[in-house]
Formats: sequence, C-alpha cells, structure tokens
Amino acid sequence: MQELTTMSNHFKAFSFVDQIHSDEIGVKIMGSYQIPARIDQFPLSLVAEAIGQLAAMSSMKAVDFQFRPVAGIAGAVDFTGVVKPGDTLELEATLSKADEESVNYDGIAKVNGEPVVVLHDSLGPMVPMLDFDDPSAVSARYDLLVGEGAEPGAFKGVPEFTYEKTGGERGASSEGKFTIPSEAPFFGDHFARNPVFPGTLLMNLNLKLALDLVSELEGEGIWEPVQMINVKLRDFMPPGETLDLQASVAEVSDHTAKVRVQTRKGKKRTSSAQVLLRRV
Amino acid sequence: MITPTISQDEIDAIYPQVADIIADALGCDEDEVKPNSSLINDLDAESIDFLDIVFRLEREFKVKIPRGKAVEEARGELSEEEFEQSGVVTDAGFEKIKGFMTEVPADRFSSPMKSAEIPKLFTTETFCKMVIREQQGA
Repeated sequence: MQELTTMSNHFKAFSFVDQIHSDEIGVKIMGSYQIPARIDQFPLSLVAEAIGQLAAMSSMKAVDFQFRPVAGIAGAVDFTGVVKPGDTLELEATLSKADEESVNYDGIAKVNGEPVVVLHDSLGPMVPMLDFDDPSAVSARYDLLVGEGAEPGAFKGVPEFTYEKTGGERGASSEGKFTIPSEAPFFGDHFARNPVFPGTLLMNLNLKLALDLVSELEGEGIWEPVQMINVKLRDFMPPGETLDLQASVAEVSDHTAKVRVQTRKGKKRTSSAQVLLRRV
Repeated sequence: MITPTISQDEIDAIYPQVADIIADALGCDEDEVKPNSSLINDLDAESIDFLDIVFRLEREFKVKIPRGKAVEEARGELSEEEFEQSGVVTDAGFEKIKGFMTEVPADRFSSPMKSAEIPKLFTTETFCKMVIREQQGA
C-alpha cells in the first residue's frame, strides 16, 4: 500500500517542470511550469524549487541519470515578483558545471516575461541516483518533458507549515520548533526511494520565521522578503524529525533588515541563511 | 612548515582572501579562522562546506581545483594500493601525507589513519596551498 502511494505521487506531488523547451545538456536548459489554478497558493520558495528541478534535469542527463543533485547551496535567491495559481512559470537555468561531483548553475523564473525569482551561484552535490530514485523512471520523465510534456495540474499543493515558538527576545531574536510530518504526499516524489523534507519548504519556513521576527520591530508598514543569501543545507531532513529554528536580527534600519536564520538538529547545524527584508 | 615549492610569502599573500572565503562559507567570524584551524574539528565544517569553499576559491582565484586533488598530490608516486588498503592509509602513505601536509601540526597525525579521515587534517593553509598549486600549474 505504501509502495502504491509512493508510486502514485511520483512526478506529481512535488514536480514543477511540465515541459523542457530546449536543453543544451549540462550548459543551458529552458522549460516551463503551469501553476495549477485550483491550489490555494504557490510560495516563491517553490518557484526556486522549479528552477532547481529544471537545472537538475539537464545535469542528470549530462551524467546519464547515474547521479542526481540534491539541494545544497544558493549564493543568493532574489524575490523580485509574485506568482499566483494559474500563472505559467518560464524557467531557465545556465549551468557552469554538471558532473558526478556537483551541479553549479544560475537560474531565473519569469511570469509574462517579468522575473519573479532569480537564483545565483547555486550548487547541488550529486548523489547516486539509485539511492534516491529509479534511473530509468527519471530518464523516461526527462524524455516526456522534452517531448509532449507532462499533463499540467498534478500538484495539489502543500500544507502551510508553521512552527511552535519556543523563545527569543522581542524584535531581536526568535526560536521555534518544527516537526517534519511523518507522512505527506510530497515524500513520494521527494524522493521516491528516499523521502526527505524539501529544502525549499524549509526555506519557506525560515522566511516565515524572519518575517514574524521583523514584524515585532517598531514602525509602520508591512515587511516582505527581498533576498536570501548564503543559503546552505548541511543535512538531509527525514520524515518525523524535529528541528530547532533560530533567527536573529543582524542589521536593521527604518525600511530594511537582515535576519540570520539557522536550523539545528540537537547540536548539529543543519541549515543556515540570511534573509534581507524591506518594509513597504 | 612549508613545502619546498610553496613559500610562506606566497601563502601570506592569499591568506586573507582564503580566510575571508572560509569564514563566509562557514558563517563564522573571520577571527575564528586561524592558519592552522582544522576546518572539520575546529570550525564544524561538513562536506557541503568543502564543496562551497572550493567553489568560492575557484571563482575568486580563477582556478580549477579538482575533487580529491589534495589527496592525489599527497599520494605522489605511490599507487593507490601502496597508499591505502581497505580504507586505511598504509605506513608509506602515512609518511607521504605527513611530508606533504607540512602546514598541519604534527600532533594531529595519528596512525593508523582511515582515508576518510584525511579531510579532518585540512587547515586554512591547506586551502591556500591548493590554490597556489593550481596557480602554479596554470
């Protein structure tokens, strides 16, 4: 039954490329994804995921699907626009390296020609494909995307994850706890043979933590994220694991703030990033 | 403390940039990064950090640092079998590493040494030397 659930979610519950329009393998790839109209929301972190999945396709093709990249590092993620259900993401990634060690790339997602998310200096370590997925299934998926494309609308959304606040100093720091669910449809797609919590969902949770923290600062207006820099995932996050979240204000002015965020599993730091925000 | 082909002046010339890159990559203060800090034992670096540091060094210094290059160079003329057996560095391999990684304090070498533990020896100066070797080879 578990196997059936996993199979039914493969390439559906957490896959964000419908079509590959061109692929200069290991160099440059272009594609698109239609955000289903009937979901409630599509966070910008999932737009970043879509860019990463597009780059992953080209990098996996470059190594004959013997390896696949996993989330690792993003030098910077610019949030330059908004997306809504029903939008079509125009995706592009330029790869500077795609081999058995890692994939390095820059990428961009646009809606109606306007950038909404830009990725700079992304770096994903390669892991053996057999540990995470079926190479022939992923290869067939690539062929489908290059050919007729996948049928849009498979994604049914993800829960809006939140954290339990456990401490901190108002307007200066915040601490929280988050337990990864033991089961969720996206685990069947991320990844089929080795379910781990997607780094981009953690990114979204960290954005929420940073926004909650700066909203405690004095002043008028609404804060919004502008950029995440030095984003790094140091470990896999399996289902059911509990993470400690921490955020602290590093710099602040009337209209801008920089917040350091990190995640720990016990003493081990499992992720870190800095979030730049502005008040509008 | 240095190999015959790399002078301390050469290391000193790029050390500030390398230390800055390591501090940025590890999210620590620059004054925590010392020339002989073990990146793993002293600065809590993980394998993803090594990938990050090498990526940043390659971009900063316009060089390519192939994966495993440091160990390959340490091995020198020894074959893989002469250097390690069943994941453990041989006596000959151990002496090679000690002779090559002169920037690492002597008390950090202990035999028998597993091959997988070699990265624990890497210090800030180890990365300086990687860059300089690639610059020399360019």
